[in-house]
Amino acid sequence: MTINTRIFGEINIDEEKIITFQNGIVGFPDLKDFALIYDEEKGTATSIRWLQSVQAAEFALPVMDPLIVYKDYNPEVDDELLQSAGALDSNEMLVLVTLTVPNDIKTMSINLKAPIVINAKARKACQVIAEGDNYPVKFQIYELLQALKSAK
Amino acid sequence: MLALSRKKGEALIINNNIEITILEIKGDQVKIGIAAPKEVPVYRKEVYIQIQEANKEAMIADSLTGLKDLF
Repeated sequence: MTINTRIFGEINIDEEKIITFQNGIVGFPDLKDFALIYDEEKGTATSIRWLQSVQAAEFALPVMDPLIVYKDYNPEVDDELLQSAGALDSNEMLVLVTLTVPNDIKTMSINLKAPIVINAKARKACQVIAEGDNYPVKFQIYELLQALKSAK
Repeated sequence: MLALSRKKGEALIINNNIEITILEIKGDQVKIGIAAPKEVPVYRKEVYIQIQEANKEAMIADSLTGLKDLF
């Protein structure tokens, strides 16, 4: 199917690849169907992917693997919150965090408090809120990324 | 908004399947028990708003061109 997107224009999406968030994204309960897309030029190796809403062209969330910048990321999440992602098998599970990129890129941050858990097998997902105060909503990563880059 | 008075130990039933119980009242704090079906997400409002705002901000993603050089 063809969907409209603000960032990528009209794109083609394999219907089988659509990921369903039964409860939507936190704050946006009506947006349930998403496609996980990435920049084709960079291939699957790219760190940033996008959760593009199938229903709303303007709604695309940049997401990334938190382990790139936070090796020990292991949030505690109430099992009941994960229900809508179906039966989770760690081999088929993808945990991503949203990325906020303000005008001043140096203040870019990831949301460690509310990760997105994707059940790749069942194509179901949910955004959950981690228990406790261990993980901030805005965890700044600019300097960490710079350090990683120069270490390469 | 509907306002109902409840005492400690009393409860409310919403939509036939959600039960809200007043567990404890201590000064200006109330402990509330919520029994709801598993598919009903329950959040503290301030946390919910915070995550909603973060999702909105993430969606705007202003300076994407600079991002490419970072990874």
